Amino acid sequence: MRIRFNLGLREKTAERIIRLTLFSCLAALPMLWHGEYALGLLTLMAVYGVLLIGLDATVGYLGQINLAQAALFGLGAYGAALAIQAEVPLPLALLVGIAAALIPGAALTLPALRLEGPQFALSTLSFATLTVIFLNESESITNGALGLSIIRPSLFNIVLDSTRFYWFCLMILFITWWASQLLLRSRFGLAIEALRDSPTATDALGIGALRHKALAFAWGSALAGLAGALHAINFGYLQPAAFGYDLMVILLLGVVFGGRRNQWGAFAGAAVVTMLPNLLSNRTLFSLLVTLGCLLAIASPIRTLLSRTRPSFRQTAPVAAMATALALALFASNVEEWRKGIFALFLFAAVVGLPDGIAGAVTAILRKLIHFSPDPLPVATGGMQPVKSFAGLALHASNLQKSFGGVKAVDNVTLKIGKGETHGLIGPNGSGKTTLVNLISGLYKSDSGSVEIFGVRPIPGSLMSAFSAGSARTFQNLQSFTGLTALESIMVCQQDGGISEAMGWLHTVGLEPKARLLCSEMSYGDLRFLEIARALATRPYVLMLDEPAAGMSKPDIIRLVDLVTSIKRAGITILLIEHHQDVVAELCDRVSVMDGGRLIAQGTPDQVRRDPKVIEAYLGSDDTTTQANNDSGAQPC
Amino acid sequence: MNAEFLALAQMAVGGGLMGMAYALVAYGFQLTYTAGKAVNFGQGELVMLGAFIGLSLTGIGLPYWAAVPGAMVAGAALGWFVERSAVRLALQQRNEGWILLTIIVGLFGVSAAENIWGRDDKPFPAPWPEGTLEFFGISVTWPELIIAAGALGIMTLVELAKRYTMPGIAVQAVSADPDSAELCGIRSKSAISLSWAVSGAAAAFAGTIIAPVTTVGPTMAAALTLKAFSVAVVAGLDSGFGLVLAGIALGSAENLSGFLLGSGWREAPGLILLILALALRPQGVFGKKIIRKV
Repeated sequence: MRIRFNLGLREKTAERIIRLTLFSCLAALPMLWHGEYALGLLTLMAVYGVLLIGLDATVGYLGQINLAQAALFGLGAYGAALAIQAEVPLPLALLVGIAAALIPGAALTLPALRLEGPQFALSTLSFATLTVIFLNESESITNGALGLSIIRPSLFNIVLDSTRFYWFCLMILFITWWASQLLLRSRFGLAIEALRDSPTATDALGIGALRHKALAFAWGSALAGLAGALHAINFGYLQPAAFGYDLMVILLLGVVFGGRRNQWGAFAGAAVVTMLPNLLSNRTLFSLLVTLGCLLAIASPIRTLLSRTRPSFRQTAPVAAMATALALALFASNVEEWRKGIFALFLFAAVVGLPDGIAGAVTAILRKLIHFSPDPLPVATGGMQPVKSFAGLALHASNLQKSFGGVKAVDNVTLKIGKGETHGLIGPNGSGKTTLVNLISGLYKSDSGSVEIFGVRPIPGSLMSAFSAGSARTFQNLQSFTGLTALESIMVCQQDGGISEAMGWLHTVGLEPKARLLCSEMSYGDLRFLEIARALATRPYVLMLDEPAAGMSKPDIIRLVDLVTSIKRAGITILLIEHHQDVVAELCDRVSVMDGGRLIAQGTPDQVRRDPKVIEAYLGSDDTTTQANNDSGAQPC
Repeated sequence: MNAEFLALAQMAVGGGLMGMAYALVAYGFQLTYTAGKAVNFGQGELVMLGAFIGLSLTGIGLPYWAAVPGAMVAGAALGWFVERSAVRLALQQRNEGWILLTIIVGLFGVSAAENIWGRDDKPFPAPWPEGTLEFFGISVTWPELIIAAGALGIMTLVELAKRYTMPGIAVQAVSADPDSAELCGIRSKSAISLSWAVSGAAAAFAGTIIAPVTTVGPTMAAALTLKAFSVAVVAGLDSGFGLVLAGIALGSAENLSGFLLGSGWREAPGLILLILALALRPQGVFGKKIIRKV
């Protein structure tokens, strides 16, 4: 039997208590134990803490590899140092440091915004290299490679000796931690995580991918500048080379090793990167720690071996890395010479074996040991409300054209949908239905033709603009926010309204009991319903559903039909792509049929079902029946 | 022709020939990117290790002509190792952990090189003839010519192998669609490993032809990676010989800016070009646009 303590505490409260205790202990340390060197290390840890909390905003929450943080840290340090040389008061110098990092950081987001993955990493890497070149070459300002010296200023006539400065840094770390937590757990933080999981859905639901990406990066840059300013004051001597590639790798080590998407992780990482160089100089202690790491790494593959299965790469690779580190610790003539290599080995083991870092692993253990009271679920309110009436067409697409290379995916399609109408869009696979919806919702830019949603012409090729005109959509291939819970997925989509309205939407689609489940833990059918709830939460006038019943079980389809019926009753105009004939027949007022990019028929479901052209599109004409069958397994309507 | 113009032209030609080496390293990115949609952020480290291994092979008495293939074999093994240790898992999970992991493996490479061969730059002896050739008043040294010819030669060879040998065609099939390729009996994983090995061999070869000009040291890696990235991104990661043009352009720009602005600024134009290319045309000048599918 596993022992589990029940403290009757909520996780949040427990975290707060531990954090306050930690900070009180850290603040009390210099009073119990004097030592300039140790105090210097503690100060450095606090500075790195601020820096890594900033880096976590991009690397953790935004999920992009940001290689510019060390350079931004350097810019902040130089900015503050120059301000102090000009005898500016300390708080102002900190602000100058923030600005010195924030402004170039913001400028970098302009080109980096549209980029993802390797391209984002590259643009930040080249920015970092350019910054070091700039600091080295602008000798008239930065004194180049010779370095820049400053004298520590006083704060409002209080002389900052090393103890007081340590407390000052600790206070700033505390504030940064608290502010980051507040910011990243708000709707803003949810939006950043949503953006990481699906930028397309983030734009299509009007959350705004670019805006949030820029803000996340700006927040990270500002903290880098602040940390840089503190660093400059702490050391009093700056050199461009210190802010290069090596520091960047060490910072990444900190965030990944400590644990991403977590301020505790950033703090743990700061502690590790501050202490590790000192550990390397004490060989016995270092060997001991590496041995411990080795034992920890080997535990998991051994457990797998005992259950007679082959351990995965994820389990064996960290063992190999730690064993190499152990070999270095025992046999290398000078361990400190191998500093980079040992960093690399630790980092490798952490990235592969501990994807959630130390903080993630400790949290998981604590959750197993202690039973926390769950956060109470709010009462569901709100839900579907009738939309305002409007004269004219809800959706008017005229002469839309879109080709991909030589393929005309949408060929001169005109579609008029009246207000409150439920319009079905059917056709064999590859007939251009999804492309048409992509054109209307602004994911693709049409080659020619125009779209009007409730009399407004959105900018072609802009999801946000089509959203502002009053449309919302779901996706054929799920675009769920895998890192968020069901409830958070809704909250991030709401323009206004709080947690109980979000519960209301979950209630509408029947997912209320699963509110606290992560999207990555939910079933396919549930995620389809969640996508509809997400779209509804934006209160659209036109809702585009792209194959909502695809892959759903029979009972789920019945639930879906009920749901769409109630959406219809609320007066929301619906454009429904669907292959299930019975669903289309039951829900749609009118149906358009596409084949080969063109509209081939339009009318009530009954009319369309009897149209010879439609039958031909699905089943082929008499003499080509055999080859048309593999076009689609669906029934004609 | 006046002397100043001639000096600039001399700079541009010298840079352009060196740029061919960047194109060759960038070609290594292209090989792995087309096959498995990942690149090695530690490619410069492979170049450096290739050069060091070549140097050690000549040190034990092998002639240059034997040391180069030896370094290439080692480079292929390293390329394969990077793929196996740092890329495969992340690609299976469809996340971008490989960016971090290839940086990490590269970092270990630098540390190993520092400890095995030392931190200082070393000369790399090569049996090239002394003296220069002169074309229209512009002089070209033999090592520079060898760089250009060697880079073009290797790239042509690999391209031919990709088109006319079975493994090459298999790699192309995997880059088009790994799942369909598997259904046709091609092992996607092996094809991707192969492309990483070839990429590693190309990097090592680049190391052995660059080093006689630049000397070899652990610090050469980081700058090379970035330059090669600039070339690959400006040209487009799937553009074939567009790389050569981008490489020549970057090499010339670098030499000219070093000459006109001061040697510290040598690398700036490439980096600015890289950021601009990423911002304005992420798919590259010669690349194809990517369509988002939902």
